[in-house]
Amino acid sequence: MSFFGFGQTADIDIILSGSDTRKLAEIKTEDGKKEKHYLYYDGESVSGKVNITLKKPGMKLEHQGIKIEFIGQIELYYDRGNHHEFTSLVKELVRPGELAQNTSYNFDFVNVEKPYESYTGSNVRLRYFLRVTIVRRLSDIVKESDIIVHTLASYPEMNSSIKMEVGIEDCLHIEFEYNKSKYHLKDVIVGKIYFLLVRIKIKHMEIAIIKRETTGSGPNTFNENETIAKYEIMDGAPVRGESIPIRLFLAGYDLTPTMKDINKKFSVRYYLNLVLVDEEERRYFKQQEIVLWRKGEKTRKPIQQPQSVPPENK
Amino acid sequence: MITNNLSLISVKPQTPQLSPQEEQDKLLDEALGVVKVQAFQMKRCLDKSKLMEALKHASNMLGELRTSLLSPKSYYELYMAVTDELRHLELYLLDEFQKGHKVADLYELVQYAGNIIPRLYLLTTVGLVYMRTNEHSKRDILKDIVEMCRGVQHPLRGLFLRNYLLQCTRNILPDADEENAEHAETVGTVKDSVDFILINFAEMNKLWVRMQHQGHSKEKERREQERQELRLLVGTNLVRLSQLESIDVEKYKKIVLPGILEQVVSCRDAIAQEYLMECIIQVFPDEFHLQTLNSFLKACAELHQNVNVKNIIIALIDRLAVFATKEDGTGIPQDIKLFDIFSEQVAQIIQSRQDMPAEDTVSLQVSLINLALKCYPERFDYVDKVLQTSVDIFQNLGIKRVEYNTPVAKELLRLLKIPVQIYNNLLTVLKLEHFGSMLDFCDYHSRKTMSIFVLNNALENDTLIPTSEEVDQILTLVAPLIQDQPDQPTEKDDPEDFAEEQGLVGRFVTLMSADTPDQQYLILNTARKHFGNGGNQRIKYTLPPLVFQAYKLAFQYKSLSEEDEKWDRKCQKIFQFCHQTISALIKAEMAELSLRLFLQGGLAAGQIQFENHETVAYEFVSQAFSLYEEEVSDSKAQLAAITLITATVEQMTCFGEENHEPLRTQCALAASKLLKKPDQCRGVAICSHLFWSGKTRATSEEEMHDGKRVAECLKKGLRIANQCMNSSVQVQLFVELLNHYIYFYEKGNDQITVQVLNQLISKIKQELPGLEANEETDQINKHFLNTIEHLKNRMDAPEGDGVSYGGLVL
Repeated sequence: MSFFGFGQTADIDIILSGSDTRKLAEIKTEDGKKEKHYLYYDGESVSGKVNITLKKPGMKLEHQGIKIEFIGQIELYYDRGNHHEFTSLVKELVRPGELAQNTSYNFDFVNVEKPYESYTGSNVRLRYFLRVTIVRRLSDIVKESDIIVHTLASYPEMNSSIKMEVGIEDCLHIEFEYNKSKYHLKDVIVGKIYFLLVRIKIKHMEIAIIKRETTGSGPNTFNENETIAKYEIMDGAPVRGESIPIRLFLAGYDLTPTMKDINKKFSVRYYLNLVLVDEEERRYFKQQEIVLWRKGEKTRKPIQQPQSVPPENK
Repeated sequence: MITNNLSLISVKPQTPQLSPQEEQDKLLDEALGVVKVQAFQMKRCLDKSKLMEALKHASNMLGELRTSLLSPKSYYELYMAVTDELRHLELYLLDEFQKGHKVADLYELVQYAGNIIPRLYLLTTVGLVYMRTNEHSKRDILKDIVEMCRGVQHPLRGLFLRNYLLQCTRNILPDADEENAEHAETVGTVKDSVDFILINFAEMNKLWVRMQHQGHSKEKERREQERQELRLLVGTNLVRLSQLESIDVEKYKKIVLPGILEQVVSCRDAIAQEYLMECIIQVFPDEFHLQTLNSFLKACAELHQNVNVKNIIIALIDRLAVFATKEDGTGIPQDIKLFDIFSEQVAQIIQSRQDMPAEDTVSLQVSLINLALKCYPERFDYVDKVLQTSVDIFQNLGIKRVEYNTPVAKELLRLLKIPVQIYNNLLTVLKLEHFGSMLDFCDYHSRKTMSIFVLNNALENDTLIPTSEEVDQILTLVAPLIQDQPDQPTEKDDPEDFAEEQGLVGRFVTLMSADTPDQQYLILNTARKHFGNGGNQRIKYTLPPLVFQAYKLAFQYKSLSEEDEKWDRKCQKIFQFCHQTISALIKAEMAELSLRLFLQGGLAAGQIQFENHETVAYEFVSQAFSLYEEEVSDSKAQLAAITLITATVEQMTCFGEENHEPLRTQCALAASKLLKKPDQCRGVAICSHLFWSGKTRATSEEEMHDGKRVAECLKKGLRIANQCMNSSVQVQLFVELLNHYIYFYEKGNDQITVQVLNQLISKIKQELPGLEANEETDQINKHFLNTIEHLKNRMDAPEGDGVSYGGLVL
């Protein structure tokens, strides 16, 4: 009815409780912009208040009921019509009736399971949001509000280093080692490359972090590779016996935890790509998967700056 | 309008052909331009406290150092410009940190730079600020950066990066002893600094060596040149080590030196090894070297075959030699057998380097000898040992003769000259048993050069040779000057050089001087034997001084006549020796020389008055006479000879009348038989003196004053002069005769009258104006005028000798 310019209409505001203390997190939108939303973890309750403000005071709003949903869904960009909801919780805020004035409703989704991490990729998006709907006969009034979910993991039990000897026969033999196979998002990759045999003229060596997003399944699998970081670790040509250090801080890059087969819809995996470039611009590389995980927030100690020791008083 | 068009055409771009140098300049200019712009932006951001922005510009600026296009020289300029600008960042951060405005995680932040070169320069800069403001971070940061720098494997860029690290850390390296260091865990100790520098050093050296193997082989020379330009960067590591004050001898011996040597030896690169070994010698104190000689020298033996080990060892020895002789120094500690160590290790080195050129082997021996002479001046045996070793080496190498002017010969001569030069005493050199054997390896030219050197040294130092054995040794040593050598070249020596060399031998004779006459006699005989083999050309120079020495010895015996009852016979033997020696000269057709030596002998014999001396003297003078008669044919030489003989006879007092009479008569006769009239005239005039001041035993050694014969001689002279055709010569002779007359007149010869003088004077006055005016006439005139002047003086002031010039007409 608002369509015709008459009839009552209303604004819906969703106010999350504890918003003054809750952290915000950033996430990319589809078009590459960044948005900030409140951050939740798995199992946390999502509660708050829904404010409905009537736009035309004095006029009643007739409705078929007002509900709030908590939805986790996966959107595949090539399949816009179908959103796969993996979580959908509904609370009825009020039974059908009439609203004569601005009204607030409290809601509380207790200990909601939020199994996956919010994610915006190149072909897929995983998002959580609250949706308030004032159901009406002709057109519902709907308001959505996104939240961001981070999945935390604990320190992996098995975290062996990655060590491997690779090469091209009689040409190049190297042994590389990354100190772990699983890194948390603010971790540091420490490693080294040991040159066992060098018969090509290497110009430089770099390490790249590659994100591979896989969507679909079977013959309809799409892989999208994205180079997140490119980091030169060696300049010039080493000789046999040389050992080159690697140290790569992850905190500065836009990374997510590794996600495997999320709701059978998509995966996000990370690889370290070691690339050697020779003087004729030929590239020799070796990819190695690493697992990224999100560690519970704690004040992280600076890695290199040793604890300062208070001056001794004598 | 038109001009505008024209100028447009001339502006048309050309494609200039740039020379490599211009190309370099252009590239460098471009890079410096970027540096300038980025540095400006960086500083502007710093002024506004926009650190992140500033770091970005710093990183851009540092990006210029990623170039591969610049030559080391240009790269160095770029590096200087960039690091100069980096100082601003450093100072800014330092200031902020000191004010307490720490930037969290800055050390991590700069490591996000994607390119390794800017990243590591920034890391070093930030690391320095951390270390400056919190010394407890030193130990970890130093370790970290020096490790991270391994990522730069490009030689040129790596060298400069590590040089920057070294520059930044120069004043903050921990320098505390491990035992009493506070907070060693965090601040670090000198041990950490040593580790740090040694790692950096090893890496820089590897990079430096690697340059050698890059690029085309035809550019090898240029590459080596470039490496030489860069060597200072590597050497700076050693300088830093030497600046750590906590490093004592123990630490140097146990950690520092082994660390350096391991790298130097294992890099197997001649340029690096040569430079670094010398660097070690130069930067560390001598006290350290003394305690580590063995390991240092062992390392020398392991160096690349192309390394000039010789130079390294010589540098070390020279330094230690200076140290040993330093006035305020403590000298070489007693417990360090410096010479033994060197001599053993040098032998090892020579052993291990089979293709070391012989000249280098010898140079090493030269430096050993230097060491022995400077540090152990009293140990002749050391010097001798070196010589012996050298002999052995030559024998092992199968070297028999070393050709003159080859490098080996030059070194060999140095080896031989040094002891001579240092001892400045030929007698000491003779004590070196193997000096001679070493000299034998020299060819003729070298031996001769050495002989001259030896003799000159003896002469300069007035080294007296007191025994015949030593004389024998020396003359054997300098044989190339004494007699012909089997390996002597056939062409003749330059006569002037030859004369000079032989003159040297002659002078050397005067140095042969024994303490006792008997020994001296032996010396003369020994020398005679050597000189006797010298051939006609040499004896002319060598025998006469010997004869004079013999005469001198005879006088010595005379002065000892009281003590030595056999002196008579000994003198006789000496004169026999002389006679025989002079005869050798006669055989060599040196009549005039022999004649003079005989006359000298006659004089000597006459004065010494040993038994039989008159006979000997007569023999000598008569020998002179017979030489005059038989061998002297040139008229000038004849006149000179007869003048000498006459003068000698006039001097002698030992003859009885029966010997004197024939001698003086012979003189007069010989004079009158001279070929040329003027010679006759002069000879006769000189002979006149024989009859006046000649002495015999009959006149009890008083002058005989035979006035009549004097007058006869002079008259004969006048007669001969009158026969002269050349009026100029004639007048000259008259003036000379006038002088003789005046002499005898004044001596009181009553046969000479004023009338004769008047006649002669008027004759001269008459003839003199008729002479042609020339220089000769002037002289004659002058002579005459002087004579007249003399007479005038005598007339005006008669002396008390009773001679009166009454009646003289002037």
